[in-house]
Amino acid sequence: MEEEALIKGLRARNKQSQEYLYEKYSAALFGVISRIIFDRDIAEEVFHDAFVKIVTKIDNYDASKGRLYTWMANICRNSAIDKTRSKEFSKKSKTNTIDAYVYGMESNADTAAAVDGIGVKELMNDLNEEQRFVMECIYFKGYTHTEVAEKYALPLGTVKSRIRSAIKVLKKKADKI
Amino acid sequence: MDIQAYISSGKLELFVLGDLNETEQQEVLAMAKKYPEINQEILAIEDAMLAIDQASAVSPSPKLKDKIFDTLESEDKAPIPLSSEEAKASSEKASNIKAVSTSNPWKTFAVAASVVAVISVSTAIYYANQYFAVEQRFAIALQQNAVLAEEMQTNQVQLKELNSGMEKFISGDFEKILMKGEDFPMQKDAAVDVFWDKDSKEVLLSVNQLASLDPTNDYQLWAIGEEGPIGIGLVDPGKKFDLQIMDIASDAQAFAITIEPKGGSESPTLEKLVVLGEVS
Repeated sequence: MEEEALIKGLRARNKQSQEYLYEKYSAALFGVISRIIFDRDIAEEVFHDAFVKIVTKIDNYDASKGRLYTWMANICRNSAIDKTRSKEFSKKSKTNTIDAYVYGMESNADTAAAVDGIGVKELMNDLNEEQRFVMECIYFKGYTHTEVAEKYALPLGTVKSRIRSAIKVLKKKADKI
Repeated sequence: MDIQAYISSGKLELFVLGDLNETEQQEVLAMAKKYPEINQEILAIEDAMLAIDQASAVSPSPKLKDKIFDTLESEDKAPIPLSSEEAKASSEKASNIKAVSTSNPWKTFAVAASVVAVISVSTAIYYANQYFAVEQRFAIALQQNAVLAEEMQTNQVQLKELNSGMEKFISGDFEKILMKGEDFPMQKDAAVDVFWDKDSKEVLLSVNQLASLDPTNDYQLWAIGEEGPIGIGLVDPGKKFDLQIMDIASDAQAFAITIEPKGGSESPTLEKLVVLGEVS
């Protein structure tokens, strides 16, 4: 299904389009949330709300500002970040680090749902330490690039160029799969 | 415009990550419209993000899908669409109200604790102030005590001097010589008594009236005999009606006091003669 047709269907509240959207993107989007929220129950709760929001607020999506997936991923990412910054969350859980995440994935290998791709651990393998650190802050802890720059006294330009180079490395790796 | 520099700045990645503010977003969108290379790059980054997310995708549990679609269906049917988020918000509000009422005892405790804290703090401040006030008064008392002790010592020294003067005076055979300033222009009202024991040669002096001098000058007592005037000590004009012990005078027909430069002179400055008294 072409993206345009999908969007049209979603705007028309077409159940098939919604199902298709779920089948095609739920794993990727849930992956975005799971990176930030390690607790699976909370991650699913956040994904539930985020996906419902995506479907019901589809009219807010503006195709001129980017692809549908980008818009959806940002809704999921922001929902997850909001959750980690809520009072309720800080009591229950702590923010993920790559290691906690990877360790968690490994230790829960039997009970956790299948990791569809190669998993975050392998994906991050090819990053150098600097790239890894910046991606950990932004991807896993949900910091903004300005927060990373301030917190770790890095020049903004440095943070930005590390993000760029990290994404390049990750893309190359993802394409190989 | 250096398109390549703009692309490699990392700003486009932040744009895709939703990590730019409204103004910056508008700027990137405008640039993308203007420069096809930038638009291409944004699309490439979006593809990269999707590829990365798909490579690290995690499937939610199958139950969750049913739950989500149940929610979506019930929202479709609901006369007033209420997203689960808003529903949660309103239920949270309700539970907040409950929480407020159930948390009342805690508030009471909190209020009580604050009152106790305020009382303790003010009591502490009150006693601290008292302590400092007492400390200050104690310091003042100590200082006064020291002053008094010093004064007493001075008085004792004076008393000793006076006693020895008195002893000499009583034991000796002193002749009193009145010295007056009436005949001299310096101090008409000056009056000093000299007591002289011709045998022991001792001289005592008592000031009745002498003007105080500026600090560069002193009164000097002279014994005038066959060999002319001999300085026999400086006179303290402040010690009135007090016996001052002077140097000995072996021979004197008269005694005189002149004003001399501080510390006294070898011979008297006659223009500054203050009093004179002849031995009878």
